[in-house]
Amino acid sequence: MNKTVAPSRVTQSPKASSRFSKWLSNLPLTLLVLLIVFLALYPVFWIYMSSLKGNLEFTTYQMWALPQSLHWENYLRAWTEGHMSTYFVNSLLAVFPSLLIVILLGVSTAFGIEIMQWRYKDTTALLFLVGIMVPIQVVLLPLFTTFYKLHLLDTRLSLILVYVTFGLPLTVFFLTGYFKTFSREIIEAAIVDGASIYQVFFKVALPMVTNAVVTVAVVQFFFMWNDLLVSLTFINNPDLRTVQSGLLSFVGQYGQRDWGPTFASVALSVTPTLIVYLVLNQMVMKGMAAGAVKG
Amino acid sequence: MNKRVGIAAVLALLGLSGLFALAQNNKITYLANDADPTSGRHGLFGRLAQECIKQTGAGITYEAQGIPQTDLRQKLQLLAASNSLPTIFPVDEPSFVTQLYKNGQVADLEEVFKKLGILDKVSPAALVLQKSIGGGKFLSLPLELNIEGFWYNKKLFAAQGLNVPVTWDQMMAAAEKFKAAGIQPFAASGDQKWPLTRLINGYVARKYGPDVMERVASGELKVTDAGFVEAAKAIQDMGKKGYFGQGVNTVDYQTALDTFMQGKAAMFYMGSWALRDFNDPKNKVDINNVGFLNFPVVRGGKGSINDWSINTGIGVVLNAKYDTAADPVLKCVLSNWGDRALAEMGQISGFKVTKTPANLSPLTKATLQKLNTAKSAYLWFEGKMSAKAAAVATDNVQLLVTGDMTPENYMAELQKALP
Amino acid sequence: MQGTLRDWRAVLVFVGPALLLYTLILLIPIIWSLGYTLFSGSVITGFKFVGLGNFVQLTQDQKFQSALWFGTKYALVVSSGQVVLGLLLALLYAFYLRKTSVLVRTIVFLPAVLPTVAVGQMFAKLFAIAPQYGLVNSLLHRVGLDSLVQAWLGQAGTAFWVIAAMDIWKAMGFYAVLLYAGLVEIPEEVLEAARLDGAKGWNLARFVVVPLIFPIMISSLIFSLNGTLKVFDSIMALTGGGPGTSTMPLTLYFQKVAFTYSDYGYGSTVALMLALQSLIVTLLIFRRARKDVT
Repeated sequence: MNKTVAPSRVTQSPKASSRFSKWLSNLPLTLLVLLIVFLALYPVFWIYMSSLKGNLEFTTYQMWALPQSLHWENYLRAWTEGHMSTYFVNSLLAVFPSLLIVILLGVSTAFGIEIMQWRYKDTTALLFLVGIMVPIQVVLLPLFTTFYKLHLLDTRLSLILVYVTFGLPLTVFFLTGYFKTFSREIIEAAIVDGASIYQVFFKVALPMVTNAVVTVAVVQFFFMWNDLLVSLTFINNPDLRTVQSGLLSFVGQYGQRDWGPTFASVALSVTPTLIVYLVLNQMVMKGMAAGAVKG
Repeated sequence: MNKRVGIAAVLALLGLSGLFALAQNNKITYLANDADPTSGRHGLFGRLAQECIKQTGAGITYEAQGIPQTDLRQKLQLLAASNSLPTIFPVDEPSFVTQLYKNGQVADLEEVFKKLGILDKVSPAALVLQKSIGGGKFLSLPLELNIEGFWYNKKLFAAQGLNVPVTWDQMMAAAEKFKAAGIQPFAASGDQKWPLTRLINGYVARKYGPDVMERVASGELKVTDAGFVEAAKAIQDMGKKGYFGQGVNTVDYQTALDTFMQGKAAMFYMGSWALRDFNDPKNKVDINNVGFLNFPVVRGGKGSINDWSINTGIGVVLNAKYDTAADPVLKCVLSNWGDRALAEMGQISGFKVTKTPANLSPLTKATLQKLNTAKSAYLWFEGKMSAKAAAVATDNVQLLVTGDMTPENYMAELQKALP
Repeated sequence: MQGTLRDWRAVLVFVGPALLLYTLILLIPIIWSLGYTLFSGSVITGFKFVGLGNFVQLTQDQKFQSALWFGTKYALVVSSGQVVLGLLLALLYAFYLRKTSVLVRTIVFLPAVLPTVAVGQMFAKLFAIAPQYGLVNSLLHRVGLDSLVQAWLGQAGTAFWVIAAMDIWKAMGFYAVLLYAGLVEIPEEVLEAARLDGAKGWNLARFVVVPLIFPIMISSLIFSLNGTLKVFDSIMALTGGGPGTSTMPLTLYFQKVAFTYSDYGYGSTVALMLALQSLIVTLLIFRRARKDVT
């Protein structure tokens, strides 16, 4: 082989330059992707960054400036003085039972509508669909009056009842779509083998929709965890307040605002959703996609 | 069979929930128009109530709840609908108070105070004012007594060689001078809307006299009359000329207050509740540099500079069906209110003061003085309006001040909403 | 076997509890609210039977009409923005990023899970003019475009676009994932065949890919519209419906009429119109979609 370097360079350069030009032609797209990622990530970063700022920094420096020093005590204040610890427990006690119930009821209803054979199944499906279109404000006054009469105001049960009911339409809609593509042969085979319909539901159907269940659960979790209207309406007692309505006591206060602890509280309220999302997102996206494609 | 199980479960849940429900007797429930029911005035009320419960030995418990001001109306409607209004609660519109009174949900305080023997604790001026707001009835507690006007930065006025303006033209000339010097003439919260309608109110009160809005309510005057349009035009001009700074409609209460307290604005129209903040160390403008002046007179107007805009802040009412076991506690709280509010918050109230605190700031003293010597008083712009007309007046003022709505249209829309 | 699937007791067990709850908490209150449309007033003022008076009032109510128009305009802009940008993102994931798209997909989805109150705070700050310039106005100021420095959220025209931008930004990642799922289901042979026929780039997307995922686009659009027609949180967080009532959709108008004006009867009528609006828009898209497909 020729030991001079030049020729090999000459032979290599067209390849390199084509790679370079390919890279160059892709550059705008790469930059675009970077920009999109930045736009999505920055708010999260901003919330956490702001949660560590001192109160004065909010009025004296620009909003995008980095904290001058790290005020971890904001979190302590949010957790104790801001009662975030109480609000957290309250949110958890309202959201998780609701999730459990809405999933259980939603899956069984979807199964009943899609797999079972009966006369009014389509009407029932349509009935549940109506719920997607109804703005929650419409039922606020009737519900408030009813809950009052039943002594349900200022109870977690009132939140659970409303969360479950308003979660049902989407859950049912989504899971019926899922069951639609279900291979009926498996179910029929199980029945021929002598399984009861309940066994079919728990042993055959339920395991096959786990993905969808996780997806719905996560989507519902976001909705319930971020709810403000319902908890503000039915809960008066500060000891029963949920995270989102608790946040208001920082944000809307008449008088000097403590921005640092406010953002620490926001960060605290965002963290669980982020964790849930990051842990489960692969499953969620798959499930969501499958539901969408099939539904 | 399984259905029965389901129903049983629901019933069991409903039964269980009964345990959580709150008993309404032997209890004072206090609703604050603030998400934090322990802040400011609400906190003082709570502390006083606890002290009084101990002192009187009444078997009563006190519970405070809070709702942000923006959600107050919805909450009240829902509470009233279910007959579960608290013992003491705020109502942000006089027309709504009257309605609740007619429904038997709000107590006539004259009767209650007579029964408790504390009617003489209320200052006569406050009583007259409350009756005027309540359509002849004493319905809301005068926990605050506020006088409104322009707070101004004495230092900035001196630096520009300006005298305190007494006529509208002088005030506008001063504003022009501040603007030219790069100082924002007025701090105002357009986000809150009412700070802007207050200016229209002041203008028409000077134009037609202090009873102007009562005459509008009775139908004697129409807001489409020339003087009203002139007032709307005057406020619009202030906006158009940039006297409120940039983006007035996005400025919230706190920002407007901060702008004034950081010495960035020369004047600030606000009620005397702002004294609490002016007396606070966070105020960068020394309290001795803050002056207080009444709304200036306008050309060809019937009103005088001795007429003041006075009110009792947001109405706070007593539930007509409150548990009378709370009487001793209520008596104790209310008879101490005047002294304690002034001493602990620098808040002037409609209750007589028996001990004037020694450490009162000169500004607070001067304001008290003005309040006591006011010749005649008028309410705020929406004081006599229906909820709907009030909403029209406040919503549209944002469009007026930016020039998106003409003064004529503003007043025409408002006239349509008035009964 | 058919007997097992037709067992009505089993149907009752599966569907009964949910249907019971749904009926008690949602359907009955809806009908209850429908009853209010025939009355004027509220629990406080007392109800007065007005027959169809509320519906007559709707036809003369300018505020209602402008809220209806604002809401429709807003929903159309935001929903098409969400779905179109979602589609572009999905195309980016599927044909440009390919296997590495997991991370990007995850990140772009993120804004959808943040609470609106917090996101609203940030957007308000980004577009602020007082007491300090927000990011947008600062940038404009720095590049010398001072004439464009303005109160973005204080004017009807610009506030509309800020709210729209926020809601599009918040949800586009969500729809991108839905549509991406459809894209990866397209068999490689179909794309290969189209490429052999000379379709590439934009044409490939326009004439081959989009028609194939059209059904998902339609369901995304319907899903999105039912959210945007009921928009509440974002507008409350950014403008509260102002300046004036220029950014007020029907949800906020309902709130105002029912609770501020104490007219629950008329409020219910407005809410009914909102539900009808959602229904009509959904049906229109369904019909349109069916026509396009056949």
